[in-house]
Amino acid sequence: MAGSMHDRMIRIDCTASKVTLWGVPEALKEYVGGMGYGTKMLVDEVNPGIDPLSPENKIVLTIGPLTGTSAPMFPQSCIVTKSPLSGTILNSYAGGFLGAEIKFCGIDGIIFEGAFPEWTIVLIEDNNVRFYPADPVMGKSTRETEMYMKDTFGEDVRTVSIGKAGEKKVAMASTFSETRTFGRGGTGAVFGSKKIKGIAVRGTHPVNVADPGTFKELVAGNMGILKNACSEEYNLVGLFSRVGTGAGMGLVNSRGTLPTKNHKYGSFDGYPEIDGYAYANKFYTRAVSCYGCPVHCGMLHKFVRHDNSHSWLRGPEYETMYALGSDLLNRDPVTLAEANELCEEYGMDTLTTGVVLAWSLEMAERGILNEPGLSLKFGDSRSILELLRKIGEREGIGDLLAEGPKRAAERISTDNIGIAMQVKNSGFAAWMPRRMKGVALAFATSNRGACHKRAPIGAEVTGQIDMDTIEGKASLVKEIQDKVNACFTMIACRFHEFVTDEEYYPRYIEAATGMKISYRDFVRLGERIWNLERLFNIGAGFSRKDDSLPERCFEPVLGENSENAVIRRDQFEEMLDQYYRVRGWNDEGIPGKKKLKELGILEYL
Amino acid sequence: MAIGFDFNPQNCTECQRCMLACSEVKLGHIQLRQSRIEIIRNWPELPVLDVCRFDDCEEKPCIVSCPVDAISNERGIVLIDGQECNGCGECVAACPFGAIKQDVEDIAYKCDFCGGDPACVKECLTLALVKKE
Repeated sequence: MAGSMHDRMIRIDCTASKVTLWGVPEALKEYVGGMGYGTKMLVDEVNPGIDPLSPENKIVLTIGPLTGTSAPMFPQSCIVTKSPLSGTILNSYAGGFLGAEIKFCGIDGIIFEGAFPEWTIVLIEDNNVRFYPADPVMGKSTRETEMYMKDTFGEDVRTVSIGKAGEKKVAMASTFSETRTFGRGGTGAVFGSKKIKGIAVRGTHPVNVADPGTFKELVAGNMGILKNACSEEYNLVGLFSRVGTGAGMGLVNSRGTLPTKNHKYGSFDGYPEIDGYAYANKFYTRAVSCYGCPVHCGMLHKFVRHDNSHSWLRGPEYETMYALGSDLLNRDPVTLAEANELCEEYGMDTLTTGVVLAWSLEMAERGILNEPGLSLKFGDSRSILELLRKIGEREGIGDLLAEGPKRAAERISTDNIGIAMQVKNSGFAAWMPRRMKGVALAFATSNRGACHKRAPIGAEVTGQIDMDTIEGKASLVKEIQDKVNACFTMIACRFHEFVTDEEYYPRYIEAATGMKISYRDFVRLGERIWNLERLFNIGAGFSRKDDSLPERCFEPVLGENSENAVIRRDQFEEMLDQYYRVRGWNDEGIPGKKKLKELGILEYL
Repeated sequence: MAIGFDFNPQNCTECQRCMLACSEVKLGHIQLRQSRIEIIRNWPELPVLDVCRFDDCEEKPCIVSCPVDAISNERGIVLIDGQECNGCGECVAACPFGAIKQDVEDIAYKCDFCGGDPACVKECLTLALVKKE
């Protein structure tokens, strides 16, 4: 029986408005799908030295073998492109329903090349593609653009769109799909550079799997695991299912690892006013899921804005509670919700946007930055909301901040880069590298910059492993990076692996596609992809000097008594040396011949 | 035996697993647009359920609307005989619950309650969709 992949993709040459149905070559099929397809294609087709906002960049929007099937927690789709924020190769993910709809089109993904001469909305129905002028929605929010597409093409289309930030190529602009977001790395700016305002998708194809009997058993087993996890009181996935991702903020705070006031402090006394429980008590309406997911970690909140108008929001998520909350000393849940809403309206990543905001507030505190009419004080609601709007509009100081924390700092003076909490211009996620040494290494070495998706967060924050030691962290981080990369070829939700046995992945792949792969080879595939990304980044000019942390990470965390509340530079460098060694890279972080040969990608050297 | 569904939209997370289960049982594969049950998103308000209500639909206007008598009431389970259906679409228009669809040849189809043990209900972990007591 036919497998769950369709072995063809739609290639859109935006410059010529030309559409081709492209057969997936055998060599690509080894990469399973998702991030594997996207990475291999970008590495093969895009020169790493290009300007990410030039027509030479490509957007590879992919799905995996389980997308659109009944397997739980595989709703996401993946965008791979060269990031205008970090300048590295980027993979960015959004949940919701877009991925399944792409599968229903009878394709494994869509590739956008070149750039449209005029702003365009793309309608994809099965393998028919049509282009419409985007004039009616230019300058409109992501939500308005989505509503316009649904009004025009029918309520049942699934959409992805950019807001004004993407139009204006704000470096951390993101793309939105029904409140789910390709958040990290500036996907929205790449859409903007190609003059793509929105994409609507509707598919009618059936989704089959190679071995329906086995597949059904796997799904039933997996559903059982998730059902149990959701009913357990202290299971993280269970907490997410009841309270959303903000459930754990108290735990993070109690461990002194909740980044507060631009990462100066490790705990925030205002957290009980803005965490998952606070929103559940004050604003909760109901829980919502992504496609086929029994966990339903999305929480729909209704709230009244400061101007007394009524609004609603799916979120904020935990990471946003940090970026627009504790890190800005913002203890007002309505300001936080409004800030989240503004990021959604303009189409911006709450993480990097929050980080650049925190940096600007500290710069103002030091008397280096100011903006007429704004106090720029930590915790000041008006400053926070107004700065967000200015970034989205690229207005006044917002034009500077729109470049991301590192580039903004560089433009003022290099002395201030040390308090811009970023790696490769990508803002820190909601974890403190100084406190969690594995996270420090993961942030520094991530191929997309300050990435939390491949960091040993759960293990370190719960104390399952000692967060203060550097011992064993190099191999642990490598292991997680490889494993998560492998899971992202199937585009498993990051939470799937928290509770599901690893043996599920190869069995799922075989039942869905017929492709036989051992778990060991599956993880090895993740490693292969990690190395391909690394080679791309080296081609883009990155080296050991970029696998670093801002100066603040090497200073003690204020308010924390532990002498380990700091990472020493020699400790960090030692960990980095060890990491390069376990990766089979040289001292400069360049993959060696032996490693590349072992991974079957020697030709990329 | 009562025939029909009780739907508590407050508990529905719109995961669509009911639709997935229906599609797999009725078609042998996933094709959500042909599933006999549908959850319609209405954010930020509660979702709407489109499916036959059986006992809760007293008039059963679909039966009356059918010009070729292809729709029957078999002990509470309303069934469409695809062989008899002439594809006119009258029943689709008559149904107050948006529960009847037409295939590519315009033949009407709808939920048959899986003969009394609906697959969708078993798939709903939040108990938003349950069998009518």
